[in-house]
Amino acid sequence: MSTSSRRAATFFLALALTIIWPADARAKTIIIDDSGSQALEPAVTMRWKSAAPARSATGNLMIGTTTIRVRINVMPWLHHSGHIYLALPVQKPGPIGLSWTTQGRFLPGQLVSGNRVLVYAGPITMPFMEDTLTFQFSVNGALLGRSVPVTYRFEMDEG
Amino acid sequence: MTPSGRGPRRCRETLRRLIVGAVLLAAAGSAAPYTATLTPAAPQEIYLQVGVGAFTNNYDAGGQPQINTTINTVSTTLAVGVVGNGTAQAMTTNSTAAQSYWDGFTFCTVPAQLYIGGFFRTTGTTTAAAQVTATVPAALTNASGNSIPFSQISWVSSGIADPPTEPFPSGTFVSGGVQTVGSMASNTWNESCWAFSYSNTVVAAAGTYTGAVLYTMTAP
Repeated sequence: MSTSSRRAATFFLALALTIIWPADARAKTIIIDDSGSQALEPAVTMRWKSAAPARSATGNLMIGTTTIRVRINVMPWLHHSGHIYLALPVQKPGPIGLSWTTQGRFLPGQLVSGNRVLVYAGPITMPFMEDTLTFQFSVNGALLGRSVPVTYRFEMDEG
Repeated sequence: MTPSGRGPRRCRETLRRLIVGAVLLAAAGSAAPYTATLTPAAPQEIYLQVGVGAFTNNYDAGGQPQINTTINTVSTTLAVGVVGNGTAQAMTTNSTAAQSYWDGFTFCTVPAQLYIGGFFRTTGTTTAAAQVTATVPAALTNASGNSIPFSQISWVSSGIADPPTEPFPSGTFVSGGVQTVGSMASNTWNESCWAFSYSNTVVAAAGTYTGAVLYTMTAP
């Protein structure tokens, strides 16, 4: 095999790995048990972000805040490294905005339903990870005629 | 290490991996997404301003609507020679509301125009619009008991930099009754400026004639 052909083979192998690796990484996303989390308020009270509306039917956001003591069970990944994401699936009543602040254990962030955001990356040194998160939900008032449950979850990407 | 010695060790590693895998599966199986219930609280709000109103600040600066109990007047004074000659007489207001509380924009011309505006907020899919009605007495009266039909008073609706269509269109009072003077789609700001005029087609005795119109907003 000539030098150029070896280079070609190496390039082909690297390319193949590049293609295969993301599929392998996606397969290792696991929902984390957060059954130890506790909400400080039973429901998220949604109020108009602005008391008055705009001249057109835009900007009719309702916002609500809640504080949750998050406790996630990361025992299966103890002494390993991991990437933890906060995911807000697409769900009713429609597009949902979510932003949060933390006490420092996790990263603050924001997202729109249908996405996830990294809240921790690094070694897992304790069986449980805890933090107090203040969530702010935002929803178009036209979509919020009654109380609706909204779910989110923590996901672990191993490796 | 002999090949025969690798067998048991490989088995132990496989077993350990299986156990770890079982733990991971168990952890994944017990996980459930956290649920927060979003509850709209006191979602209905209503605001109607006829003449002067009250806001803590302009809306686009975070202002909040307030209550203003002021009753504004619209009036005109006719010279003796023109009473009942059919020439409409412009009326002016004592309202000082020229700026929109939405953004502070000078929307009306005072004292020639009277500001009328407002909004209603409700959650859920938009249904019917809120209606603004005027409860109008049959006539304006003076101290001697003489009267002028309220239908002598009309208004032309406009607004600086506004499109031709107004949420509170031009109209004429009915003489006694309740009439709709405008409507508001939910979650939108609506405003107009009214220039009143007295049609001056009746000959009335000299005097000061007054009457009060009550504006009511009804949201679905």
